[in-house]
Amino acid sequence: MLSYILRRIVSTLPVMAIVALFVFSLLYIAPGDPAVVIAGDQASPEDVERIRQGLGLDRPFLIQFGSWVWRILHGDLGTSIFTSLPVSAMIGQRLGPTLSLMTVTLLLTIVVAVPLGVVAAWKAGSFIDRAIMAFAVFGFSLPVFVVGYVLAYIFALELEWLPVQGYTPLTEGFWPWLQNLILPSIALGCVYIALIARITRATMLEVLQQDYIRTARAKGLGQGGILFVHALKNAAVPIVTVIGIGIALLIGGAVVTESVFAIPGLGRLTIDAILRRDYPVIQGIVLLFSFVYVLVNLMIDVVYTLVDPRIRY
Amino acid sequence: MSEELLGINDLHVSFSTRRGMVEAVRGVTLSVEKGEMLGLVGESGSGKSVTGFATTRLLDAAGRVTGGKILFRGQDVTKLRGDDLRQLQGAAMSMIFQNPRAALNPIRAIGLQIADAILTHKKISKDAARAETLELLCAVQIRDPETRMNAYPHELSGGMCQRVMIAIAISCNPALLIADEPTTGLDVTTQKVVMDLLADIAAARGMATILITHDLGLAARYCRRIAVMERGRIVEEASPKKLFSAPQHAYTRRLVAASPTATSRIEDLVTEEERERHATIVSKPRQQLPHGTPPLLEVRKLAKRFDQGSAAVADFSMTMAGGESVGLVGESGSGKSTTSRMICRLIDPSEGDIVFDGQSIGHVASRDFHRSPLRKDIQMVFQDPNESLNPRFTAFDCIAHPLMRLDGMRAADALRKRVEECAERVGLPLDLLPRFPHQLSGGQKARVGIARAIACRPRLLVLDEPTAALDVSVQAVVLQLLDRLRRENDIALLFVSHDLNVVRMLCDRTIVLRNGGIVEQGESRALFDNPKTDYTRKLVEAIPHIETGPALAAAL
Repeated sequence: MLSYILRRIVSTLPVMAIVALFVFSLLYIAPGDPAVVIAGDQASPEDVERIRQGLGLDRPFLIQFGSWVWRILHGDLGTSIFTSLPVSAMIGQRLGPTLSLMTVTLLLTIVVAVPLGVVAAWKAGSFIDRAIMAFAVFGFSLPVFVVGYVLAYIFALELEWLPVQGYTPLTEGFWPWLQNLILPSIALGCVYIALIARITRATMLEVLQQDYIRTARAKGLGQGGILFVHALKNAAVPIVTVIGIGIALLIGGAVVTESVFAIPGLGRLTIDAILRRDYPVIQGIVLLFSFVYVLVNLMIDVVYTLVDPRIRY
Repeated sequence: MSEELLGINDLHVSFSTRRGMVEAVRGVTLSVEKGEMLGLVGESGSGKSVTGFATTRLLDAAGRVTGGKILFRGQDVTKLRGDDLRQLQGAAMSMIFQNPRAALNPIRAIGLQIADAILTHKKISKDAARAETLELLCAVQIRDPETRMNAYPHELSGGMCQRVMIAIAISCNPALLIADEPTTGLDVTTQKVVMDLLADIAAARGMATILITHDLGLAARYCRRIAVMERGRIVEEASPKKLFSAPQHAYTRRLVAASPTATSRIEDLVTEEERERHATIVSKPRQQLPHGTPPLLEVRKLAKRFDQGSAAVADFSMTMAGGESVGLVGESGSGKSTTSRMICRLIDPSEGDIVFDGQSIGHVASRDFHRSPLRKDIQMVFQDPNESLNPRFTAFDCIAHPLMRLDGMRAADALRKRVEECAERVGLPLDLLPRFPHQLSGGQKARVGIARAIACRPRLLVLDEPTAALDVSVQAVVLQLLDRLRRENDIALLFVSHDLNVVRMLCDRTIVLRNGGIVEQGESRALFDNPKTDYTRKLVEAIPHIETGPALAAAL
């Protein structure tokens, strides 16, 4: 098992290398000369040349790439062109809110969607099933910002149950922290709840047709034991896969949600960096997200082997 | 003498389908006494399994008991709900199923699956349940039960999986066990071991058993009483002896005739009335080939190794003359399917050569063989007609496809003519040609598969268990068809099967395989009547025979 995980980690290295190369090339693929951009409108050609040399942009591509990778491996993501702060510090500041939002959303999604899907499959064709699936279609079709504003209007402005916007760090207490995250998580989670509930239902329907479910019934097992011990675990592989893909999609969704609820997270930082053409920051963020995505995939692969003994490692 | 345990009274079961309600069981009346083993025999669709599922309350959501009573110890099972029902299921009454591997949860260790059944019905600790599980595994004769408890179904053979199922079923000492086709899909020797075990356990524990099967021979070997079902009704109920010597109902007569025995010939497989109807197609004897004719197929020292190194097939040599039929028999895992696939050039041999009609084809890569002009001379009929037909192809497309690909036939008229000719040849009504596989019966699909194989007029037909998925009466017809094709069109048949009775009837010669090597070969009848090796003897003895002849006459 341990050797399998190690092998999987090693096999992610080429992926990370390709991502790094791509992220680094952003600077070259993007229109305009970075040195000109940094120097600003009033700079003379000499200024631009000085900046170019200062950044090492006059050296060959591979050497630049090599020294960039070397710096990253030492934890140096470069310095923001706009704020002159280290990129790692800027990301570090914004990481908390985004991670909080994604974690709460993910937990909410799993806790709500999987049981909904199981119940829909168990009561397939009934009123409950149709109601859940109707909700799923609804959840799919509403954009995050619409759900976000509607929720904020009802629960924050009208009922005044929850704060409208903003973020409180976890260090200031669990409830204040959670309070600020409830509405954004529901808004962001809607689509994933719909998606995962549907996948759970479809997979469970198939599993419930299998012979071993009939065996479980023949043993006299209760409905709960059949659904959760025998069926759900067999349906887990596709569900876990979709949850993993969901995490990747959450990254994109978080950007929009953070704008709607004014959460000072990575999403806001990304938008600002793109608008300012702050390349070192963009590179840092893309690299981080890619790394998280690769890590999530690694975790999913490990979960597969825990769930299904037929998957060999 | 003894009291009634189960009494089924005028049972009706219906299924709601897209085309409305379909009645699967129409008035079954049956009784089972304590400790008795009853055989419930019928072909697919006869309602025998549905009767079993209704009794154990395991019908699909679409199925409903629409009439009658099922009295188990005087209690009407059809009226039970909730906890009362669960106390019955798995405790007083249990069931084992066809295809044991699918019937076990693939991702739960077998020990836990057995313990599930125990813990559902007994209030004991997990350790005590574990100890009982171990005892049960010993009772079903699984070697090394301590380690096997942690095994998953995919790590066990089919026979072992069925033993685990039996362990689950007997875990709470039920009074009634319903075994639904418990050995279908297992090879003959495993079938015998599993059935003997089941019979012993039932006898030792005084458990009544209903054996649901399509195999009359199997029911006759283990049951004192057999009920025959046809289209949702019980048409006859008698002792096996009486059933075989003097079947009363026309359907029973047909079934008895179609069940191959140690002495039956292909012509015997239909009842006398039917034989008269088909009297015109008495086949002419095959003409002897002149001496010194080169063989059609020559296989030299063929071997196949898969990744792990141990050989699936080793040192396999054989020859076949044109129009000859050769049987390839052995247990599952003996390498018979691998061998047949190499000869068909669907997989590549690791060593050795295959010479067809004087040309070496063993070294043509299997993925390029479809371009060889010999592709149309060697065709294959696959095991499961349901799985081997493309669900999006009509019967016509299916038969026409090889003609277009291999014969380069393009003209629509000529194509239609050939396809219809093939369909007629295999007895497939022409109005079925536009249908898709799911609109055809098992026997019709088997015919499509054969028509497809003979469309290009091959000289060698390789058949991999072509009748294993078919009912006996359909099997009888397919066997007759194959025999006729061989005699009239001079097609050589390489017949892979674990059903020795069928091989004995159809094949001139038989090759017995074990662990990838030839154990014995020779003229079929001689080989089966006087097996020279223990292995062949074991195979022959494992066939459930129907005792007929003088011994039976004396007994009556």
